[in-house]
Amino acid sequence: MKSSLNITKELKMAKETSISELKEAFNIIAHEIKREYNAHIWLIEVFGKRHSYIAGCKDDSFLPPEVIYINEKYAVVSSDWGKLPLEKKEELFSLLNKYVNKT
Amino acid sequence: MLAVLTKKERDWVQSVVKEEEIERYMRNGRDFIDDDEIWEKLRNNKKPDKKKIEDIIQKSMEIQTLEPDETACLLNIEDPEIWHQLFDVAKNIKKKVYDNRIVTFAPLYCGDLCVNNCLYCGFRRENIVIKRKRLTLEEIRRETEVLAGEIGHKRLIVVYGEHPSTDAAYIADTIRTIYDVKVKTKNGYGQIRRVNVNIAPMSIDDLSLLRDVGIGTYQVFQETYHHETYKKLHPEGTLKAHYQWRLYCHHRALEAGVDDVALGALFGLYDWKFEVMGLLYHTRDLERQFGIGPHTISFPRLEPAANTPFIQQTRYKVSDEDFKKIIAVIRLSVPYTGMILTAREPAYIRREVIPIGITQTDASTKIGIGAYSDRYTDQEEDRQQFLLGDTRSLDEVIRELAQMGYITSFCTAGYRCGRTGDRIMSLLRTGREAVFCKLNAVLTFKEWLDDFASFETKAVGEVVLKKEMEEIKEKLPQNVYEKLLEYYKRIENGERDLYF
Repeated sequence: MKSSLNITKELKMAKETSISELKEAFNIIAHEIKREYNAHIWLIEVFGKRHSYIAGCKDDSFLPPEVIYINEKYAVVSSDWGKLPLEKKEELFSLLNKYVNKT
Repeated sequence: MLAVLTKKERDWVQSVVKEEEIERYMRNGRDFIDDDEIWEKLRNNKKPDKKKIEDIIQKSMEIQTLEPDETACLLNIEDPEIWHQLFDVAKNIKKKVYDNRIVTFAPLYCGDLCVNNCLYCGFRRENIVIKRKRLTLEEIRRETEVLAGEIGHKRLIVVYGEHPSTDAAYIADTIRTIYDVKVKTKNGYGQIRRVNVNIAPMSIDDLSLLRDVGIGTYQVFQETYHHETYKKLHPEGTLKAHYQWRLYCHHRALEAGVDDVALGALFGLYDWKFEVMGLLYHTRDLERQFGIGPHTISFPRLEPAANTPFIQQTRYKVSDEDFKKIIAVIRLSVPYTGMILTAREPAYIRREVIPIGITQTDASTKIGIGAYSDRYTDQEEDRQQFLLGDTRSLDEVIRELAQMGYITSFCTAGYRCGRTGDRIMSLLRTGREAVFCKLNAVLTFKEWLDDFASFETKAVGEVVLKKEMEEIKEKLPQNVYEKLLEYYKRIENGERDLYF
């Protein structure tokens, strides 16, 4: 019983580390995208209807938000997807997929 | 329900509190409410000078949370003229942060079984005159069909007694049931889009379960922040007697990832100035530990309840005049927060205090268990926690708000697109959230007028909509206005749930 509890704790800690890595990486990416394309993006964690903010831009451009899901747990939201070249968008999601799979 | 706990109830009560989920947030083994310090602040800030008040007002207008000394100054104002000035400032702050919209919602009571024995509560365990019931999921579905399909609500607050039969697993089931209901309406469909919860303090694991089903706001009122009074009103040996388990439940919710939490105090249990200070200290501790303050603050006054003599006996009843002061001081002290005024209050009070800074209110309210689908119209003491002051329909309330120049909003967009936690805090503090409030108020009000409004309300409502659209055209970028027009037309054609 004791050993099983420790494993749970360690798994939780490992998960928290991965999430904090993901947040840190996303903040850098969001900053770069805003600087280069004036596009605001932010990362959310999905809990049913609740889409909780976890990283990225805190500002946006007053247009309807569009949610793009990375997987069933995470998504990226922006009102400015149109400002991003297609290949940048693909590059972004390919990178995020790698991070998200670690969480 | 028996007056004495059954073995099953006793075992459940023993299992709820997790001391380690309290201690981790405390400093040197103490909670953040120091009763003596609060009284000292109130004593030391008597007769504040005009310059000091002006500086405090300036700080509030910059949407900054006040220091305890500053709030104590405001609470000690004696000059009626300065109070009038404060009411105006409160109104302006609300407009700056949330524009002129009032969000509406309805409470849905799902169960009144309770293991506690709080002296002021109609649902207390020993109150034998109350009929006890827990709604089945089928009954929850029927209640939701009335709320979403006939009245037109989009946002609920679900309420439960603290009891093993309404534990986190049951609450999660009821929320899933509510979210699943979709009802055809005149021109579109009705659906509950945000379920907030008013429930007992829970462990992080239980809160995670609720987070996973997508709850909106987690609302728990401390009732009273005064330790000694809390102890007197919540008998020893009951679950609710644990002051700190309750005090830190919002901390646990934030840790569990529910990043919209709501505070409140029940005014009439202890000195109102002390309670306002308690709400401020609570806010400041959440901000300090998580960077996120309360999504909303509530300030209900005690109302009569069946077989509950305490309510007549309390010496801390709050007058209407002091009630206005409470609202203004909270608005200035925590300028970014949402403020909820409920149908506990009679219509004439609602009319008077809504302009001081209220952001949310309920209507067509029924608080008896199963009352919406039973369609009873009178209040029934033996199935309600307390008696309501305002039983007007949503249609009547919306019409009155429109006549007062307010737009009723059914917006639930924020928590569905990541405007939560410290992101919403940033948008609120900079006044940018007010733009989303305005845009989404227009769209959701249009939906409601098309689907549910009476002829008279629709006529008054459309005048408000026209004015709002003109203001948006004038103040916001052209592309935003054009998108709004596009969505507006799509709603006219029967599409629903379009938002910014």
